[in-house]
Amino acid sequence: MNRNYIILAILFLILASGLLLLPERENYKQISPGELMRDVVQNTRYLTTDQVAQMIIEGDPTLELVDVRNEGDYFEYSLPRAINVPLDSILAEDYIGYFGIEDMNVVFFSNDDIKADQAWVIAKRMGYKSIYVMKGGLNCWIKTIIQPQSPAETASKEEFELYDFRKGASMYFTGAEISAPASDGEQAVTVKRKKKSSVAEGGC
Amino acid sequence: MGPLIPQGLIAGGWDFVIALLLGVAFGFILEASGFSSSRNIAGVFYGYNFVVLRVFFTAVLVCMVGLGYFEYMGWINMDLIYVLPTFPKPMILGAIIMGIGFVTAGFCPGTSYTAMAIGKIDAFVFTGGLFLGIFIFSETFPLFESFYYEGNMGSLTIGEFFGISNQLFTFIFIIIALVAYYVTWMIEKRVRKTVNPFKF
Repeated sequence: MNRNYIILAILFLILASGLLLLPERENYKQISPGELMRDVVQNTRYLTTDQVAQMIIEGDPTLELVDVRNEGDYFEYSLPRAINVPLDSILAEDYIGYFGIEDMNVVFFSNDDIKADQAWVIAKRMGYKSIYVMKGGLNCWIKTIIQPQSPAETASKEEFELYDFRKGASMYFTGAEISAPASDGEQAVTVKRKKKSSVAEGGC
Repeated sequence: MGPLIPQGLIAGGWDFVIALLLGVAFGFILEASGFSSSRNIAGVFYGYNFVVLRVFFTAVLVCMVGLGYFEYMGWINMDLIYVLPTFPKPMILGAIIMGIGFVTAGFCPGTSYTAMAIGKIDAFVFTGGLFLGIFIFSETFPLFESFYYEGNMGSLTIGEFFGISNQLFTFIFIIIALVAYYVTWMIEKRVRKTVNPFKF
């Protein structure tokens, strides 16, 4: 047999065993420190509680709420449809599948926004896109959405509109009574009949 | 970094140009390997010429090992590579039909074009039959449609199917290929009596 064939065969064997022996190289996708800094300093990652409330109310299918507090806190109170991924197990095998789903917008939240921000940095370094932080966390959620403060009488129209939205959202999330005039759902229909007239009505 | 077109590093419009260049290279290699001769190709079935097996096995090996190292270096994202979905039953039937065509005509679709390029009359006849077959298949497609899409297993790789890593599968595959090279060489020697190994 030609010697060159044997050399080629050995070369292939060496290359293949090389592949086999190489350690798994993971996370080469993680972003560079420069890129991370650029994303950290700008505030585009923050969503306000109002934006989050609106997304929940509208049933936005791309919204993935992630509660990064511990399990106890999560079961005590959390946002509707939120999943619980404690900060210390964000890299665990069981939870990793929640991130990096195509077209999903992951929103981290905790009591304030420190833990959520930390979770965001970890997720960012892992190269995930479409990740956000709920600004102010659940404390801000309670203050703005659950117990909204009515604005001063001299406040702008926008502030009043925001207050109206928050009041509505509060009712949505707490199941509070709507203070609308009570009715049994049926309204009397008043029929207005045109008066008969013999005069031909004006056409053009 | 890669793949270049899905990542947008090369604009999508270039894919036809790249396909043309790759097609020319592929045709050149087919012709250079002697695949424009239907005797060489049909030889696999009679045991006197295994060049088809060797060339394609080698191409697959180079590709597997190369992609393995590219992935390790982070030059290519294997998740973005298109993997043809697997339909076991229709694929087995298709392979049998293809094999019958192979052994009777001595061409596969690609090699029939290389043979046409050097003016082989049997290749022209084969290609005519190929288009006739495509036409008949397309017109009668609704009849087989349910079988055609039967048993979709999704984009499955052999490594995933057996639950082993792609690197391990590459290694096993190389062993299989090297054994196949040796065995086919022995068969060829016995059947052909005179074998002139290609000098390079």
